[in-house]
Amino acid sequence: MIELKHASKKYQQGGREVHALRDVSLNIRKGEFLSVMGPSGSGKSTLLNLIGGLDQPTSGEIFIDGRPLHGISDDELTLIRRRRVGFIFQFFNLLPILSAVENVSLPILLEGTPFSEIRPKAVALLEQMGLGERVEHRPEQLSGGEMQRVAICRALISNPAVLLADEPTGNLDSHTSEEIFLLLKSLNEQGQTIVMVTHDPKAAAYGTRIITLKDGALSEDISIGGK
Amino acid sequence: MSVKYAMLGILAEKDLHGYELKSSFDEKVGEFWSLNYGQIYSTLDRLEKEDLVTHDRQVQDKRPDRKIYSITKKGRKELDEWLAAPINRVRALRDEFFIKLVFTGTDNPGPVLDLIEKQKALYLRQMNHLTHQKIALKKKAKDPAALTTELLMDAGLFHAEADIKWLTLCEAKIKATLVKK
Repeated sequence: MIELKHASKKYQQGGREVHALRDVSLNIRKGEFLSVMGPSGSGKSTLLNLIGGLDQPTSGEIFIDGRPLHGISDDELTLIRRRRVGFIFQFFNLLPILSAVENVSLPILLEGTPFSEIRPKAVALLEQMGLGERVEHRPEQLSGGEMQRVAICRALISNPAVLLADEPTGNLDSHTSEEIFLLLKSLNEQGQTIVMVTHDPKAAAYGTRIITLKDGALSEDISIGGK
Repeated sequence: MSVKYAMLGILAEKDLHGYELKSSFDEKVGEFWSLNYGQIYSTLDRLEKEDLVTHDRQVQDKRPDRKIYSITKKGRKELDEWLAAPINRVRALRDEFFIKLVFTGTDNPGPVLDLIEKQKALYLRQMNHLTHQKIALKKKAKDPAALTTELLMDAGLFHAEADIKWLTLCEAKIKATLVKK
């Protein structure tokens, strides 16, 4: 479903060339919950940015559902990013002046669809995540776990082919983290493909497959038996 | 030491014969702790000598009698005292891996770094397995005993995580020494 072929990424940092990703070939199957482990600087965020169309490889190829993400225009990339990919982040990245339901609707509002059309689906998602009572609340009125659940709804609103998570519980306590992971796990069991980068082994262990990056290259690939 | 109290804890719930005792032990903590029948029976013998446990004989058709064990009043008191007391010492660093580290030496770091990497991958694999067992348990069980099992699994995960973090630190410190040389 997502395929990387010899993907490499280099960039300049303070006059120095950084090789963030070295010749990574990887096939992420539909329905997989892939955890990407590695210390800071190992290239895991770069990998996530390439898969999410936030960045392009210096060399190599990336396909999502057979469509290339490399060598296309920024506009095309933006469209794929908006429609095929959902993101969740460590600090949730919700807009503080919008309510939960408005935050969830935002990706589709940006496409020009009226709010009245999106609202029912956004509310349904929030209810599904146990946030039925929080629809009109603003982020500051929500707990950390609730904010991340709102962010998950926002990521799911466009039915993305893949959900990308960057240290999604880095800012939450152990119990709340577990609730978020169980939620991601149940989405995965309903067929949602998930790619999560983390340096936390407890988080990574929720994956059906765990890869480890070391100095920008793939070093371990662990897959749980069955699924 | 704790085998003794685990036996007392199981018998405090119900009188059991040796075989059932082992099954109950396996069900409660078997994921982390394996005991053979020899250890079970030798512990029971010791507990009887200390008057913490006693037994009744159950006559069976065509088969040898079996012993049904029960906890004594003295046993129950000792168990309650043990349960209420916090543990005095932190986990011993008597880990087999630690011994390996001592004897491999860090003068020639290649083999140590290899070993660390293999060990980390192994712990991660176990955490992966344990996490999925925990998810399966959470899905099916709603009985109160399942919570204890889940908490034990959590402890296993936290310990494995600490081991991985420690190994990652070892790796970084050994590499930093290399750069200095």
